[in-house]
Amino acid sequence: MTNNRFLRSTALLLGVLASSLIVGCNGSADQDPGTGGGTEGGGASAEEKVLHLPMRTDGPKSLDPVRGSTVYDNRASSFVYETLIQYAYFKRPSDATALEPLLLAEMPTVSEDGLTYNFKLKPGVFFHDDPCFPDSKGREMKAEDVIYSWKRMADNDNDPKSWWLMENTIAGFDKYREEQNAAEKFDYDAPVEGMKVINDYEFEITLQEPVYRFLYTLAMFQLAVVPREAVEMYGSKFDLHPVGTGPFTLKEEDWVQGKSMVFNKNPNYHECYYPTEFTPEDIEKGFDKDQGKRLPLVDQVEVTMFVEDQPMWLSFSAKDVDYTQVPAENFDDAFTKRGRRSNRTFELKSDYESEDISWASVPLLDFIFYGFNMDDSLIGGYDEKSKKLRQALCLAMDWDERNDRFYNGINIIYDGPIPPGLAGHPEGHNAPESYRGPDIPRAKKLLAEAGYPDGEGLPVIEFYTSRGGNNAEQVEMLARHMEQIGVKLDIKLVDFSTLIENVNTKKAPFFSFAWSSDYPDAENNLALFYGPYESPGANHFNYKRDDYDQMYEKIRTMPPSPERLKIVESMRSMLLEDAPYAGSMARTRFYLINPRLKNFKPSEDFYNWVKYLNVGE
Amino acid sequence: MWAYVFRRLIYNIPVYLTIIFVVMALLRVNDPVYAFLGKNTTQEDIDRRREEFGLDRPFLTQYGEFLKRLAFFDFSQESWSRRGRKVSDEIAGAVIPTLSLTIPALTLTSLISIFVGMISAFFRGRNLDRGLVFFAVLGMSISFLVYIILGQYFIAYLPQKYFESHDMKETWGSVWFAIQGYEPGLQHWFHYIMLPVLISVIVAMGYDTRFYRAVMVEETGRDYIVTARSKGATQSKIMFVHMLRNALIPIVTRIMITLPFLITGSILLEMYFNIPGMGKTLITAINEKNLPIIETFTSLFAGLFILSNILTDVLYAIVDPRVRLT
Amino acid sequence: MMQRIRKTRAGRKLLANRMALGAMLIIGVYLAAAIFVMLGGISPSFCNQPVGPPNIPGFFAEAPAEKRLVNAENTLAVVDRALAKSTPESQQASLDEIQVGLRKLEKISLDDFELKLEKAYAIYDDLSASPDLENDESGLALLADLESEVESLTATPTFSQQVMETIYLSLGTDRQGRSIFIRAVFSIKVAVQIGVVTAMISVAIGSVLGALAGFFGGWVDHAVIWLYSTFSSIPNLVLLVVLAYVFSSINVEIFGKAIGQTLIPVYVAFCCTFWIGPCRVIRGETLKIKELEYVQASTTAGFSPVYTLLRHVLPNTIHLMLINFSLLLIGAIKSEVILSFLNLGVQAGAGASWGIMIRDSRSEVLNSFFWQIGAATTLMFIFVLAFNILSDALQDAFDPKHV
Repeated sequence: MTNNRFLRSTALLLGVLASSLIVGCNGSADQDPGTGGGTEGGGASAEEKVLHLPMRTDGPKSLDPVRGSTVYDNRASSFVYETLIQYAYFKRPSDATALEPLLLAEMPTVSEDGLTYNFKLKPGVFFHDDPCFPDSKGREMKAEDVIYSWKRMADNDNDPKSWWLMENTIAGFDKYREEQNAAEKFDYDAPVEGMKVINDYEFEITLQEPVYRFLYTLAMFQLAVVPREAVEMYGSKFDLHPVGTGPFTLKEEDWVQGKSMVFNKNPNYHECYYPTEFTPEDIEKGFDKDQGKRLPLVDQVEVTMFVEDQPMWLSFSAKDVDYTQVPAENFDDAFTKRGRRSNRTFELKSDYESEDISWASVPLLDFIFYGFNMDDSLIGGYDEKSKKLRQALCLAMDWDERNDRFYNGINIIYDGPIPPGLAGHPEGHNAPESYRGPDIPRAKKLLAEAGYPDGEGLPVIEFYTSRGGNNAEQVEMLARHMEQIGVKLDIKLVDFSTLIENVNTKKAPFFSFAWSSDYPDAENNLALFYGPYESPGANHFNYKRDDYDQMYEKIRTMPPSPERLKIVESMRSMLLEDAPYAGSMARTRFYLINPRLKNFKPSEDFYNWVKYLNVGE
Repeated sequence: MWAYVFRRLIYNIPVYLTIIFVVMALLRVNDPVYAFLGKNTTQEDIDRRREEFGLDRPFLTQYGEFLKRLAFFDFSQESWSRRGRKVSDEIAGAVIPTLSLTIPALTLTSLISIFVGMISAFFRGRNLDRGLVFFAVLGMSISFLVYIILGQYFIAYLPQKYFESHDMKETWGSVWFAIQGYEPGLQHWFHYIMLPVLISVIVAMGYDTRFYRAVMVEETGRDYIVTARSKGATQSKIMFVHMLRNALIPIVTRIMITLPFLITGSILLEMYFNIPGMGKTLITAINEKNLPIIETFTSLFAGLFILSNILTDVLYAIVDPRVRLT
Repeated sequence: MMQRIRKTRAGRKLLANRMALGAMLIIGVYLAAAIFVMLGGISPSFCNQPVGPPNIPGFFAEAPAEKRLVNAENTLAVVDRALAKSTPESQQASLDEIQVGLRKLEKISLDDFELKLEKAYAIYDDLSASPDLENDESGLALLADLESEVESLTATPTFSQQVMETIYLSLGTDRQGRSIFIRAVFSIKVAVQIGVVTAMISVAIGSVLGALAGFFGGWVDHAVIWLYSTFSSIPNLVLLVVLAYVFSSINVEIFGKAIGQTLIPVYVAFCCTFWIGPCRVIRGETLKIKELEYVQASTTAGFSPVYTLLRHVLPNTIHLMLINFSLLLIGAIKSEVILSFLNLGVQAGAGASWGIMIRDSRSEVLNSFFWQIGAATTLMFIFVLAFNILSDALQDAFDPKHV
C-alpha cells in the first residue's frame, strides 16, 4: 500500500545500520546470524517485513509513560518503551512464573523481610538514536535513568495519571513528592530515602512496607525508562516524540492523529531473543519456528486506528490488516458453537479455514459490573432495608441473557469482583453467597421485605451509563429486567466525562462501569472497595467498612499463600452479601489471524508482544 | 465598494463576538475537567487540572483571553487531550484531508447537477424531466449512513476481496477504491478518496439538481430565450450559451455560500473511511471535551462564513450591474 | 373545505397532480399510524419486549441453520437454569417466570421438564457432531426435531396469540429478539413527532421574525439579521452536538421527566438551525409584498401596521411556509438518523426511532442480516419520498415560477 520504492530504500538504509551495529557489537552471541539484526534485509532485493496491525480506537492520547492510562496508551508505549521486567510472551500473566527480566540482567533479589529489592541492569541497553543526545547517538541506559523515570511519576507538572501505583510504597517517596511539588522547582536530583544507586548498573529500592504488588508494577508501562535528555529537550512535545529503549522507534510525522502510526525497527535494540521454551500447543501452532532469533523480527509496523468495526472487519477480510478482534456482530459469521454451555467449543467456519485463517481466544481480566453508590440515601447504606433493595435488584438481572445477546455467549459471568484465572475467583464461577439473578420470585420477595412490594413506593432510580458502543441497547435490556419486579429506571445516557463527573461527585446512585486488572492479583480488584479510595478515587461505590479495610491492608503486604487466599475469600463473601455492585462479567476476546502473520499469541494484559511477531508468505 | 465591505465587516463584529460567547458558554455548562482524569484520582488532581486549563477563572476572563488570542491570530494554544500538539497543527493537519475530499465533491456535484438541472429544465414537464426529478428525490430520501455502509461493502470491499483472492491485489487492488485509509499526495487520491467523493456526490446531487433546475426553469421563461428560439438558434446553443450565462449569478451564489462548509468535512465519511479530516477531529474533540479545538475551529468557521457572505454580495454586484451595494 | 381548495387555481392544480395525491395518501397512512401509536397502540416498553428468538429474518423466512441451533439451545439453557435451582418450589417458581418470546412454558410437572430437556439435549449433542449443518440433510432433519422438542416445552398459543405472533415476527427480530415491525411502526410516531414539531416551531419562529424584519425594517431588521447571522455562522455540527450534550446532562425536570429523557434536546438543537431558512425567505417575500399597492393602500388608509401585517402580508406568504414546512420536516427526520448514530438523538428507554434502528443494525449488514436496516430505511424512504413529492407539487401549484 505504501510506495514501494520508498520502502526498498528504507530497507537498504536499515540494513546498513543494522549490520554496522553487529560489527560494532563484535558479532555478539547471535544464535542465528542469518536473520538476526536484519542482515537479511541488507540485501537490496530482500523484501521488507511490514506488519499491519489494527487498533480499535481513534488512537492513544499520550506516549509519555507517566501520562498514559488507557490500554491504547499502553499498547503504543510498549513499542518504544520498556520496563525492568516483562510478562513472558508464551506464558499467561496468571502463571506464577510469568514475569521475566527485560531491562534487568536477572530478576530482582528481595530481602527476607520483603522490604529491600536489589536490581542489576542489563548492560548494553541503548536509548534510540535521537538529536537529544550528543552526536544524535543513543547513550547507554543507567541506573540513574530508572530512578529519574520513576521520580517523574511524582512530579505533578507531568500530569501523572497513575501515582496511586507508587503511593505508600517506596520509603520516603511520598514525602519527596509532597516536598518537591510544594517547592518552586521540582528537583529530580534530591535524594529519596528508599532509592539508592549503587553503581551504573545496580540500584536498591527500600519499601515502606512489604507491598506485594510492587513486583507487578515493575512490569507496568507507567514505570518504563525514559532518558532525561529527551524529556528536557522536548518538553511537552515529548508526548509525540518518544525516545526509549524499545524494539521500535516512532518519528513524529509518522503518527497521523486519529488514523495511523508507523513504527520502525530500532536498529540498536539490545540483545533480546525469541523464547526457546514452548508448550506442545505452542509448537502445534508453529510458534517455535523462530526460536532463538534476535528480536524484533520485522522492520516496520503500521498501526491503523478504527473507530468503526465495519472498516476493520472488511480490511481484515481483504487482508489489508494482519489480524482483527472479532466484533460481536461478526462472531456468528466466523464461528460455530458446539456443545453445551458448560464445555462449549468453537470452530472456525470452513470458508475461513480454507483461507488458512487461524484464531485465538483471549480471556480478559475484566470486572464488568453495575455499581451502586453506598452513600446514596435511597440505594446506599448498610442496614437491612437498603441491603435487601440492592440484593433484589441484583437478583432481577439476567447476566446470561446479556452475555448471549450482546457477546454471543462467549463471556464469563461470575460472582465476586475477582476475574477468572486469579486466586480468589470462585470455583465454577459461582459463589454460594451470591445474589446473582435471575431469580425473580426471590427478587420480588426481597423487594417486598425492603418495604417496596412490587416496586410500590420506590422512586425512579437514576442509572448512569456512557453512550457509545451498544450501551444504549444494553441499558434497555437492564431496564426490562428491572421492570419485571416493578422497578423503574431513569436512564441517563451521558458522555463519558459526565459519567465520571457524576460518579466522582457521588451523584450517580446506580451506574455502569468496568475495571480491567492492572496486574494479575486479586488485591488490585479488592482495592476498589477500600474505604480511603472513595470517590473521586477508584472506590466509586464509596463502600466503607472498617473490617474490610483492615483485611485489605493485611493482604496488601502478603505474598500469595493459603492464608491470604482465605482472607481474600472472606472479603469476597462480604462484598457479595453487602452487594455494592451487581455483576460480574469478564469478556473473552476472539481474534482472527491472517496466514501471513506468524507467532501471534494475543494477550490484552500486556503489549510487549509486537517484537515477537513475524510475517511469512 | 471598499466602503461597503468595510461597513459590512464592522457590522458583523457583534455577530462574531456573540458566536464565540455562545459557543464558549455552552461548552462550559458541564465541567469539562472530568474528561481528563485517570482511573484513580484525587480532589487535588481535579483542582490542578482545572487550574492548568484556566477553568478556575471567571468565564469573562476566559472569554477575553480567547478573544485576545484571536485578535493576534495566535493559535498556538495547546490541545487539551494531546500534549505537545498546538491547536493550529491539529486543525491544519485535519483540514487538508478534508479539503481533498470536499473540494472535488463540490466540483463534481455542481457540474453534474447543473448539467442535469439544465436538461431537466429544458424538457420541463416531459417524461425525461419527471424521471430526473424523481431520481433526484429518490437519492435524497435515503439516509447518508445507509449509502456509506452499503457503498463501502459493495463498491470497495467486494471487488477488493475478489482481487485479493485472485492474486490481483498488487495490480488492481491498489488502483480500485480502497476499503479505508488515506495517504497524502495526488497519486493516492483516486484510490482512497474517490469513493467517499462519489458517495457524497450522490447524496448532495438530489438537492443541487432540484435547485439548479428551478434556476434554469426561471430562465427558460425569459424573453431572450423566446427571442433566440424564434430566431432559430439550435437547442444546444440556447441551453449552453444563453441559459447558462444568465443563470450564472444564482449558480455562483450557491457555490460561494457552500464554500465555508468545505472545511467542516463529513463525520460519517471520515469515520468509516478512516480519513483523518476535520469532521472526525471535531467530533473527537467534542467527545473528549477538547475545548481549544472546538472554540478555535468555530471561530475560524464563523469568520470564513461571514467573509464569504460579504464576498458573495460583492461578486453579485460585479456580475450584475443592476444590483447596487448599499 | 374541499370546495374551497378546489376553487383556488393552485388547489385545482394540486388536486390534478396524481403523484401529489398519491403522496398525500401515503402521508395520511403514516399519520394514522402515528396517531395509533400516540393513542397508546404501542407503548415504548412494548418496543423493548422480546417477542421471539434474536435475529430471525422477516417474511417467515428460515434463519440459517446455525442460528436456529443457537436459538434452540438458548431456550434449553433458560429452562435448564431454572431446573438447577436448589428446591422444587424455587424451581417451579422460576419456571413460572420464564417467557419464551411471547409464550409461557407448558404446565407440566418438574419431572416431565427434566425428561423433555434430557431428550432435547440428546438431540442437541448429536447435532454438535455435524461439521457443516447447512449442507447436512440428516442434520437438518434432527434440527427440525430439536425445534419441535423445544416448542413442546412452551404452552400452545391460542388463536389470537398466534395472530399477534405472526404480526410481530413479520419483519423479523433484532438482536434482543424484539419485533422489528413493532419498532419500525413505533418509529413512525417518533419521526412524525420530531418532524412536525421542529418544522412547525422553526417555520413559526422563522416566519414571525422574517415578517417583522421585512415589514418594519430599521432596528428590528438589524436585530433579526444579527440573530440569524449568528446562528448560521456556528458550524451546524458543533451547534447540534453541543446543544444535545448540554441538554442531555442538565438536571431539569419537565412533566415529571428529566429533560434529557424527552425529545426536547432534539427539538431545540434542530430548531436553532432550522428557523433560519424560512426566516430568510419570508423576510425577502415580505419586502416584496410591502411594496404592493394594496398593502400600501392599507397602510395609508390608517390601519395599524400589525393589522396590515396579519391581514395582508402574512397570508400571502403561507405557500412559502408550507413549502418550508415540508422541506424542514424531511430535514429533521434525516438529521435524527445522524444524531442517533452519535447517540445523541432519541434516548434509551424512549422506544425506538429509525435512526436508532439504523444505528443498532449498522454492523449486521456485514452478516447479511438486512431486515432491521431495511425496514427502517424503507419506511423512512417512503415517507420522505412522499413529502418530497408533495413539497414539489406544492411549489408547482403555488409558485409556478419557481420549479
